[in-house]
Amino acid sequence: MGDIRQSLLPRDVLSAAKELLYHLDIYICNLVQSGRQPPQVDAKTLELVEEFILHAPKDRNAPARRMSALQELQLLEIMCSCFQEQSRDTVRQLMFSALFSLQGNQADESRMSLLGKLVSMAIAVGRVPILECAATWLQRTHRVYCVRLAQVLVDDYCSMVPGSVPTLQNIHSTSPRFCCQFITAVTTLYDLASEELTPPLELLQMIVSWIHDDPRLVLITFLNTPLSGSQPISSLDVTPLGGLVRWCVKAPLAYRRDKKPALTNGSTESEAEAGPLFSALHLSVLQVFMLLPNILNEKGLFGRLALLQMESLAALTSDLSRLLDQADKHAHTSSAETHVLSQLALDRLAQALQVAMANGALLCSREDLRAICSRLPHNNLLQLVLSGPVMYYNNIHTPPLTFSPHSAHSPIASHPTHPAHAPHTPLATHSSSHPQYTTQPFMTGMPFPFRPSH
Amino acid sequence: MSAQKDCEFLVKRARELVSDDPCAAKAWLITARTLYPADFNIQYEMYIIERNAERTASAGRLLYDMFINFPDQPIVWREISVITAALRSDSQDKHAQFLRGLFETLPGRVQCEMLLKATEQCFNTLEKAEMLLLLLKRFPESVVQHGVNLGETLLEAEASENVETAVNCFRKLFVCDVLPLVINNMDMRLPASLMQKYMLKAAEFYIGYVTRGPSPDVQIQGKSGLVSRGSQRYVIDGLSEKSSVVAEPWERLLDILAVVGARCEWQGDKGQRSYVDMLQRVKELCRYLPGLEGDTRFRCCSQVVICTALVLFRSAFLYVSAVQPALFQGVNALSSGPWILVEDLSSVYNDVEVERGAVKHAHKKRKLADGRERTMSSDDEEGLGKGRSRHIVVNKTEMPSWSETLESFRIARESWDLLHSHDGLETEFKKICASWKTDSWLWFRIFLTDMIIYQGQYRKALSSLLQMAAVQQPQPGQQSPTGQTSLEHHRALIQQASCHYALGEYRVNNTEVVMTLIVVIISEHNVLLLPCTTKAILPFCLQLMLACFKLRAFADSRDDLSLGHVVVLLQQDWPQGELLFLKAVDKICQQGSFQYENFFNYVTNIDMLEEFAYLRTPEGGRIQLELLPNQGMLIKSQSVCLHHTVTRGITKGVKEDFRLAMERQVSRCGENLLSVLHRFCINEKIIIIQSLP
Repeated sequence: MGDIRQSLLPRDVLSAAKELLYHLDIYICNLVQSGRQPPQVDAKTLELVEEFILHAPKDRNAPARRMSALQELQLLEIMCSCFQEQSRDTVRQLMFSALFSLQGNQADESRMSLLGKLVSMAIAVGRVPILECAATWLQRTHRVYCVRLAQVLVDDYCSMVPGSVPTLQNIHSTSPRFCCQFITAVTTLYDLASEELTPPLELLQMIVSWIHDDPRLVLITFLNTPLSGSQPISSLDVTPLGGLVRWCVKAPLAYRRDKKPALTNGSTESEAEAGPLFSALHLSVLQVFMLLPNILNEKGLFGRLALLQMESLAALTSDLSRLLDQADKHAHTSSAETHVLSQLALDRLAQALQVAMANGALLCSREDLRAICSRLPHNNLLQLVLSGPVMYYNNIHTPPLTFSPHSAHSPIASHPTHPAHAPHTPLATHSSSHPQYTTQPFMTGMPFPFRPSH
Repeated sequence: MSAQKDCEFLVKRARELVSDDPCAAKAWLITARTLYPADFNIQYEMYIIERNAERTASAGRLLYDMFINFPDQPIVWREISVITAALRSDSQDKHAQFLRGLFETLPGRVQCEMLLKATEQCFNTLEKAEMLLLLLKRFPESVVQHGVNLGETLLEAEASENVETAVNCFRKLFVCDVLPLVINNMDMRLPASLMQKYMLKAAEFYIGYVTRGPSPDVQIQGKSGLVSRGSQRYVIDGLSEKSSVVAEPWERLLDILAVVGARCEWQGDKGQRSYVDMLQRVKELCRYLPGLEGDTRFRCCSQVVICTALVLFRSAFLYVSAVQPALFQGVNALSSGPWILVEDLSSVYNDVEVERGAVKHAHKKRKLADGRERTMSSDDEEGLGKGRSRHIVVNKTEMPSWSETLESFRIARESWDLLHSHDGLETEFKKICASWKTDSWLWFRIFLTDMIIYQGQYRKALSSLLQMAAVQQPQPGQQSPTGQTSLEHHRALIQQASCHYALGEYRVNNTEVVMTLIVVIISEHNVLLLPCTTKAILPFCLQLMLACFKLRAFADSRDDLSLGHVVVLLQQDWPQGELLFLKAVDKICQQGSFQYENFFNYVTNIDMLEEFAYLRTPEGGRIQLELLPNQGMLIKSQSVCLHHTVTRGITKGVKEDFRLAMERQVSRCGENLLSVLHRFCINEKIIIIQSLP
């Protein structure tokens, strides 16, 4: 395909890009037809893409070719119809990755920029094939870039153009896979660490209503992905569950934190509105956990795959502990309210841990949990969860409440893992010893000292 | 520090939150359940939240969990009984509908199990049956296991609860709900004897339902004529008003008959389309009956008897409901009044001598007399006794549905004859009658009596009428309103008198009959029937009285009182009785004198007046007539008299008072004859009774 460069050079930018897309299509069709496994687009072709579509300078001497805004729009339209008209999935996927797979070079910036515009456009005009390709892209790409794409979309739909949220809202029906990945990316992006990293209310509302209407939505990627343990390094989590748990647990304190004297107007409002949303979202998350045992059992993965990672939970508890400390420091004005919000955060944490553990989303022992929660202040429910139910409860029908970490099956990580691990070693770091966390002394067989006093 | 306390703590937190933040409350309970999955209170609390919010799907899911995990919890059973009650009720309120919807979300297997267990926990037979019925209706496969048992339970309950009538809640459920499920389930093999037993149970119920009497309170309103009978409410004890309604009972009965017939492999049975067709088919079948033997014969007999009996009862009902609509609930009584089948008495005006000689061959005619004006002529081809194809005369304008009514009467008679055409059939039919206690069915007795009268079997008819009187004895618990009773009573008396007349028994028993007739006449006018009905009943009664008096009046011995009565009575239907009147005049002439003090009170017929005026003249024979009561009464009313010129010169040479009386009487010729005669009956009641033969 390299030989077409000469014919492309004299053309104007748009027609050259157009011509290249045309040839790329033919080239990939032939590639797929040839049956070579795996079909691999050659480096020469990728260079052509960078030169004529992404307009990365070929070498220092060559003048950078640029497109006008109008030309760029025309190119995007052509790309949209190009993906729309291609009926074969494989060809489309190859074409998409030929265009947008990050190459770790200079062209990646314009690649990301063009991708953002293309996906944003595809959402606006409902181009399902592009959204599907983008969903795959979000699974394979490093999370940093996924988050950047999400940021572009949130900016376009939630900040730039008022009233365009309903358009974005539709993606849950047009492409559930993309929607699921988008949620994962957004929850990764907004970790509530600062005001900038707090999701806009419209976005929050949208996500809550998506999940409320269809809790399985957050599991779509997980359900459609054959789990091989070969997740690309540092890609997004296979579900947004971890991110959603973080949102719900941190929200009471994060939104409170915004209520600094300087920001009295508006923030109170958003807090009042966000409160019930997070409550509903938290319930939805628990309900999703409850769907898991059946799904995991069907896939033969119950007790082998942790959808929630101990590391991220540990990060969450340490974040939370820091937030609680800060809240305490600011608490001189309204300590009662602070206490209520702190307890709400801890209640949610306890609930998420317990329900996730009981439904096989979290593979660890209560001892592990006690380790990561050791720095948290007292909360009745959390203590109950950490100590576990009283086991002499006379019940013969009780199903196993928690996954035993010493199960015969070897767990598989849903999380990007380090390839150095041997295939049958437990991949999730859930083993009982977490040297990095200071642990409270705990003696088995003794009544748990912090069991709630009823 | 026990599990119990943990659970209480968790549920308490959820309860605190539920009003302000239901999502948080649910999150607590979800967490609680994963901690203590075996704790009932946690799951019940979850269920209550969903149920109170009327979220059908999630409440259903939780109910299912509770049912599976806590089958022994009384609270679960209380909840299930609330739901099954909603299923049984016809309430349309929102919560009942929610509960029904909730039940629908459960998997069929669970619904089935739930209903079965709910049934087991139910001690009231009726509720239990209704519950099981829900099960059978939803899960046809359960009919095989439970259908017959349920049916038998209901029949046993009916027997043990001593219900008075076949129209009771148990039978209703059995016949209308259980039976169709059982007989239409082809997976079940039911013995023919059982099918027939069930068939008869169904027939008894439907007939009882159709022929049920009006409820007492409605009757009182009905008398004032304000309430249309179509809108009557009827409730079977133990059932709701809605489920007390049985639509199209005769058709439903026919449906059951068709299925039973098909399953019992009845002859020539191609799905019973109508009762009339059925009678035709059964008649044909009857011809082969004598040639059949053993089992085939037995089966054929059953088929004939059951089919014919149903046709008989239906047609008899249709006939009686036209003749005596007030007997039944839901039959429109306002369109036509009660009707009475009596002998045609127009021969009463015939000459005594002729009649005496020809009692046996007299033209007996029957007519269906209603309470209104009618033409009362009929004729009869055959003599007494047989009476197979006699003619019934009805005023067609008075009874618009006369042809249907007479057709029903005919079909009923044919069915009856068919059932009595063969010993085997008669025995079977009598068994049915005995088990249904048809002897106590007043309406059926009315039909039978009419049929016997029609057949001309008056002696039998009289005993039938006596039986009817026995049936009419007010039964405990079923208080018949007075109007109804006396109407029926008088009806019977009129028919009794008619029979006696037909038998030629003027002397026997007549005192009572005529006396009661007078009573009837009096009461007629005052309370009983609709006013217009007197017009029809009265002439008939007068004819009967005439029949009683004329024998005596024309006897060899002198009886001026009877002769006077005859003259008064002969005014009716004048000049039909002219011949008899002339005979009376002859008798007076022979006697040379005649004393009848009521003459001027009740004789207003101008021809008769003329004749009597003439009798006083020399040309007439100077007959001594003492017609003035104590010679006084008339003089008082002299002043109002108009002077009329009476022919034949009676003004010449007659005593002044007689002349005045005569003139005054002439002025009364325009008076309504029936009211004159009615007055005669009322005022002279004692004299009449005393002078009866």
